[in-house]
Amino acid sequence: MEFSNSCSSFSSSSVDSTKPSPSESSVNLSLSLTFPSTSPQREARQDWPPIKSRLRDSLKGRRLPRRDDDTSLFVKVYMEGVPIGRKLDLCAFSGYESLLENLSHMYDTLIICGKRDRKHHVLTYEDKDGDWMMVGDIPWDMFLETVRRLKITRPERY
Amino acid sequence: MNYFPDEVVEHVFDFVTSHKDRNAISLVCKSWYKIERYSRQKVFIGNCYATNPERLLRRFPCLKSLTLKGKPHFADFNLVPHEWGGFVLPWIEALARSRVGLEELRLKRMVVTDESLELLSRSFVNFKSLVLVSCEGFTTDGLASIAANCRHLRDLDLQENEIDDHRGQWLSCFPDTCTTLVTLNFACLEGETNLVALERLVARSPNLKSLKLNRAVPLDALARLMSCAPQMVDLGVGSYENDPDSESYLKLQAAIKKCTLLRSLSGFLEAAPHCLSAFHPICHNLTSLNLSYAAEIHGSHLIKLIQHCKKLQRLWILDSIGDKGLEVVASTCKELQELRVFPSDLLGGGNTAVTEEGLVAISAGCPKLHSILYFCQQMTNAALVTVAKNCPNFIRFRLCILEPNKPDHVTSQPLDEGFGAIVKACKSLRRLSLSGLLTDQVFLYIGMYANQLEMLSIAFAGDTDKGMLYVLNGCKKMKKLEIRDSPFGDTALLADVSKYETMRSLWMSSCEVTLSGCKGLAEKAPWLNVEIINETDNNRMEENGHEGRQKVDKLYLYRTVVGTRMDAPPFVWIL
Repeated sequence: MEFSNSCSSFSSSSVDSTKPSPSESSVNLSLSLTFPSTSPQREARQDWPPIKSRLRDSLKGRRLPRRDDDTSLFVKVYMEGVPIGRKLDLCAFSGYESLLENLSHMYDTLIICGKRDRKHHVLTYEDKDGDWMMVGDIPWDMFLETVRRLKITRPERY
Repeated sequence: MNYFPDEVVEHVFDFVTSHKDRNAISLVCKSWYKIERYSRQKVFIGNCYATNPERLLRRFPCLKSLTLKGKPHFADFNLVPHEWGGFVLPWIEALARSRVGLEELRLKRMVVTDESLELLSRSFVNFKSLVLVSCEGFTTDGLASIAANCRHLRDLDLQENEIDDHRGQWLSCFPDTCTTLVTLNFACLEGETNLVALERLVARSPNLKSLKLNRAVPLDALARLMSCAPQMVDLGVGSYENDPDSESYLKLQAAIKKCTLLRSLSGFLEAAPHCLSAFHPICHNLTSLNLSYAAEIHGSHLIKLIQHCKKLQRLWILDSIGDKGLEVVASTCKELQELRVFPSDLLGGGNTAVTEEGLVAISAGCPKLHSILYFCQQMTNAALVTVAKNCPNFIRFRLCILEPNKPDHVTSQPLDEGFGAIVKACKSLRRLSLSGLLTDQVFLYIGMYANQLEMLSIAFAGDTDKGMLYVLNGCKKMKKLEIRDSPFGDTALLADVSKYETMRSLWMSSCEVTLSGCKGLAEKAPWLNVEIINETDNNRMEENGHEGRQKVDKLYLYRTVVGTRMDAPPFVWIL
């Protein structure tokens, strides 16, 4: 499992003046990771931190940390063709993006909002009136008020 | 030496069970070697490539239990390709041919196939116990063979394996006559579970003490299972979402109250927080609690649970518990011996969930603490010095500061002095993992003071070869040394070749060792397997112009009595 080795120099914040100068054969190997704390698109490495794959997977599927108010909105989620559904607390997401990311991880496949195309799974929802709608058209807060359950459609076969 | 007949000596040896002691006994004299080898029932092989099945069977013909370990430890963190090796099939084939009365097989980081499991299940009439840890390569079909054919199966313990779940009916393959189960752990299976078969199996297993369910077992099933197994000692809860007012929840509460023998709790995958309170009535009996998969549970709920757990000896938890939560642990869990705090935010969001303060609180509050694994965002030398003073009894000390090369966040100094204090104070330290900004100095301390150290994990540390040399020269009991992303090279690697005969293995990845250095080592030490793992180039290393000076990406070397292994894939080059 190779991660892309596009690692830039990481200057350590050490100011230890007694640190010996590296010998000619040793390169400053504190280069290997970039951990820019301000970058929004942080790459998750597969080999750091050193935790086992199962724990790593379970944390990836984790939703945002809850706020203290403990409100929740559990809705059923079905993947078309799979009889057993899942349940998801929509209040734990900040918006459509994190919802899709989480669902994509949960079902191990890319799930999108919007126009049905032949290749991708598309997310739809059942609203208060019992109608099935495309996810993503209305503001997130409004969506939370009207959503009853979710369905992920299979890619079209025709 | 032998004033007693062999039978008496053998009887005395029966009381010696640890393999280390047994190995020592066998070195005393020829006669003891002979008596010991015929009487040894449990054999431990820490590196499956250090020997082979034929030699195992020649020496220990009466073995009943075999433990084998395959891939090196860093394979847990995706540093070793899946096809590297560690195949169990040749071992099972040899054992089957020899008609040894195998009863127990424990494997760690090995490749297990359905074929091996099928062969295992058919070859040993008295087979009782299968424990697979971090293995891969098999499916639920293999489990079905074990279930169907092992008449006296007592333990089926699958810990963190990668199993291809065919969503089949393996659980229903246990015959109705199978009533001997003591341990059933299938928490790592990802697929659906036949709940009816499971409930019937549990109902007819009066000796079942340890049951760990996977995520496909919902709350109402859990309630039924616990009701028919009140003798449960060790429970792994599966999927725990629920609606607290439902009838199932009430049934669960009632069932839990009856499980007065319950001492160990784990699982809680996808848990809803308010449900933990169902377990409060039995918390005062718990000695072991693993909440490391309960990623959904807020710190406050974790704390509420732990406040009831006064007898806890082992706690595995996520850092979402926070320093405050660790302070609660420190004041509640006075019997605590082992603590693991795992990171909950992999992207390094900068949230300082646990810091050096939590670690210090634990060290001050828990006098029996001897093993710790602690992931955190920051550390200071002062804190480590305090921890060393509070807990001089550490056997295992593993600290992982999430950001590599991070110095003491107060003084900006390297953490050499802090770790130095740990190794100086903890005279029984056997295992150590380092992190943070570290110079050669920390290795000087380790070489000087860590006399009992057997396993050392180094990442992003040190300045020159001197660092590695301090360790190799100083730590007489070193068995496993694993190093990544550190500036150690050929000079350190080649300084004392005979040292590697006293060690089980050495791993070096993203260091400074070169191909010619490795070749030199392989020439000097024909009793070592020097493996170069190079996935990207598939041995194009040889064709490049700068052959000798080319850096080796991954080096794994280990002592062996059976020479080069024949099952290495193309990207592994054994020198």
